[in-house]
Amino acid sequence: MSGDGECPRGDLLTQALAGERAAFAALVRRHQRVVYSLALRMLADRHAAEDLAQEVFLQLYRHLSAVSSEAHLAFWLRKVTMHRAIDRLRRTPRYESATLEEAAEAASETAQADPLLERRLRGLVAELPPAARAVVLLRYQEDLDPVEIARTLKMPLNTVKSHLKRSLAQLRERLPKTADALT
Amino acid sequence: MSEDLEPQEDLERRLRSALGAVDPGEGFAPRVMARIAAEPVPPPRAARAGAVVSWLAFGLAASGVLAVLLAHEWQVRRLEQGREARRQLIEALKVTDEKLNLAYRVVNTREGAAPPEHSGA
Repeated sequence: MSGDGECPRGDLLTQALAGERAAFAALVRRHQRVVYSLALRMLADRHAAEDLAQEVFLQLYRHLSAVSSEAHLAFWLRKVTMHRAIDRLRRTPRYESATLEEAAEAASETAQADPLLERRLRGLVAELPPAARAVVLLRYQEDLDPVEIARTLKMPLNTVKSHLKRSLAQLRERLPKTADALT
Repeated sequence: MSEDLEPQEDLERRLRSALGAVDPGEGFAPRVMARIAAEPVPPPRAARAGAVVSWLAFGLAASGVLAVLLAHEWQVRRLEQGREARRQLIEALKVTDEKLNLAYRVVNTREGAAPPEHSGA
């Protein structure tokens, strides 16, 4: 990423641990896309996603000494973001039953090809139950394999696989109807 | 997309494309740093280490005071038990002494009052 500021990549964590706020800000800039994207796709609400992402980084600031490496940091951020998002969805069912227009609208920067279809696909993902949604996002947004997803969500591997299988079947089933409606 | 059956790979490719990253914008990091500055969040390591040390010192001091109090209490209780045992022993000796005295007096009285064995024969 280009927004890391003046701190060399390998030293950021060490410098942030030493209490340098500029280094911590650079860490935030480096990981903000992942944390915010996961929060946004989970909650389907820009304000809630921003708030949750900020809380995740605040928690990181408090627990930075528990993070041992950059890889651990990426794992920790995904784990905390997803657990916080799932907790929030359970506490606030509004997010689950929302029209999810905003989720559909939240186009990625790389989106191209068929924008209508992709928009609808995002909407369908946002309608999945929270745990299944988390699994699908970690698989297709973060490109994690099922073992990594199981570790991140503290979920049995077979549960991850069954969530993936069922979610894909559900999306496939609903997508052709949508495609007809779109044309 | 006109086909009814979406092949698995195509669906996965579309999912990856649709679920790309979204950046919260340039202002996000400054907003996080502002929240950190506004909230009483301790600096990562130094504050944590300081807090751990102060809690450890407090715990040790509290343990020390508790140990002294318990030792004192134990000693007082032992002294009281010793005193009580001594009092009971003296009481028991007194009672025994009185019983022996009484027995001695009874024996002496009977011996003085009894007639000589050969007087009536």
